[in-house]
Amino acid sequence: MSTKREELFADVDLSQEKLLNRLFHGLLAAASLFGLVMLALLLLDVLWESSQALLTFDIDIGQFLTGTSSSRAEQAGFGASILASIWLMVLTAVLAFFIAVGCAIYLVEYAPRNRVTRLIEANLANLAGVPSIVYGLLVLALIVNDAGLGSVILAGAIALALLIVPIIIVASIESIRAVPSSVRDGSYAMGATKWQTIRKVVLPQAMPGILTGTILALARAIGETAPLIMVGTLLHATRYPMGPLSDFSAMPTQIYNWTYQADRMFNGLAALGIVVLLVALIALYVLAGYLRRRYETEGGTISNV
Amino acid sequence: MAPSQNPNGGLTRRTAITTIGGIGLAGLAGCMGSDGDGLSGDVAASGSNTVAPITQVAAEDFEAEYSGVAVAVEPEGTGAGFQEFCQANSDFQSASREITDEEIDLCGENDVDYTHYTVGQDTLAVGVNEDNDWCEEITLDELEEIWQFESDVEQWSDVRDDWPDEDIALHGRDSASGTFDYFTEHINGEMGNIRDDYSATSQTDEIWDAVADNEYALGWGGVGHLRSLQEQDGTLRAVEVESDTDGEFYPPEEEYIEGGEYSPLARPLFFYFNHASLEEDPDLIGSFARFYINNQHGFAEEVGFYRATDDDVVENHDQLDSVLEEIGEDPDELTVERQDP
Repeated sequence: MSTKREELFADVDLSQEKLLNRLFHGLLAAASLFGLVMLALLLLDVLWESSQALLTFDIDIGQFLTGTSSSRAEQAGFGASILASIWLMVLTAVLAFFIAVGCAIYLVEYAPRNRVTRLIEANLANLAGVPSIVYGLLVLALIVNDAGLGSVILAGAIALALLIVPIIIVASIESIRAVPSSVRDGSYAMGATKWQTIRKVVLPQAMPGILTGTILALARAIGETAPLIMVGTLLHATRYPMGPLSDFSAMPTQIYNWTYQADRMFNGLAALGIVVLLVALIALYVLAGYLRRRYETEGGTISNV
Repeated sequence: MAPSQNPNGGLTRRTAITTIGGIGLAGLAGCMGSDGDGLSGDVAASGSNTVAPITQVAAEDFEAEYSGVAVAVEPEGTGAGFQEFCQANSDFQSASREITDEEIDLCGENDVDYTHYTVGQDTLAVGVNEDNDWCEEITLDELEEIWQFESDVEQWSDVRDDWPDEDIALHGRDSASGTFDYFTEHINGEMGNIRDDYSATSQTDEIWDAVADNEYALGWGGVGHLRSLQEQDGTLRAVEVESDTDGEFYPPEEEYIEGGEYSPLARPLFFYFNHASLEEDPDLIGSFARFYINNQHGFAEEVGFYRATDDDVVENHDQLDSVLEEIGEDPDELTVERQDP
């Protein structure tokens, strides 16, 4: 049989098609590897720069992690900026979480299915795509100057919260929608009111997805530089921020300010700062991944965020 | 089937928030400062990110001396800083150029009175690679020829015939900086007038890194960054530039910058302060200004700039004293005493 087939198609040359096939395959593989390779290069560059910094300059890691920054590179530390970033994340999370989840519950559970609702939902995706500096400018005009709050942590947190609210809303909507309607119906059948159903049945099931979305949104916020620069940050975070109304320079803005100082040791400090920022970022991703995996096995479906 | 209730969700959220909040509070514990040596209060300084490092050193030393004082230095840039300053949102303003007419109007609208003080000099160097053995000196006309808008200089030999037939790689600051404003105004005659096919960057270090990597590169930027790279074994050097005072060529070195011969590429740096802030707390604002002026030579040099003249310091002191008298304060009553050079 195979001989017959060979006879029949002996004059058909498929080598070119096969080559094209392989070429296309390779092209697709290269495209998907491109991102990974770039990420690897970035990480290698950061590690190389920071190890060079440690070798070239006399940097005390303990002092770097706990100290405050200074215009004297030998005394400069990252601690005040780390603390400022923690303050920012806590305030941003509190500000963004309740607004976003409230909005998501309303849109899924209460809002009538009409054109206005669809318009709002479509615009959420657009809002998530607004450049972050725009939120910074908005807060600079309305909160920092008009309301007279000044360039404080709370103002920065408001800018970051505005930035991530749409992201959390989208994630929350998906999580809430993913709760099967049979579960809701079961709750109603037991005589529960709508609010009881949402609070005791829907939200607990949707919460892992909402939390994962929140943490991923915070992971985006922690690295944001542009809105904070607009709000106004210190050249050097020389003091530990004492509360939401302190002046500050968070991790990304402190790194940015270090990179343009004349003293080259600041460039080394910036490289180390990037490592700290990356570690914080990875920690947030790990936390989000952990939450997702944990509840996926236990609670059945939760949606992707 | 999914359980209908999952208390872990709510718990996790609360735990997470409490934990993060707890870390924040723990970090704060033990950081409460105390004062007791006279001066206390907050000072807000806006302005140039070139001058901010000088103000920052002054601020840190002032805080070290008077622990009740907190000076916040925010480097938003000279232009953006004047927007804050002229709306009375900051007490001090660092500036890498003098206040413009529009900014004077804005200050006027908001009744912000101010005086300005020369605190040091920034110097722009023209730099080439160390392997460049032909370009030892350059005239102002040649610089203009190279950098002017739609310049037709492509190769070194287009500038001088005996220079090599190699493409010049041009590096400089981008249009967002006061440095760019200064260079284009003083070399090309008009602010913003510059060829558009050079490598423009917001980071002075990138200019010098590029020059150190390329034998045929030419760049301009702050000399402090150039010296700093030289100390790190950077293979580059500064070119001697023609002086507009006597037509001779001078390197960007201390002697000629402070002597005034390295001109026009040395520019004065300033701080301004709001008289209303001084009236509100004469001892705090006046003392900080005087402390700054007393030590301005050291502060400027510490962060890679050059000192102003001693005459500038005396002039600064006289001006501060007369402002103090104007608002009815005795200049001798300030916590910080005047020290003339």
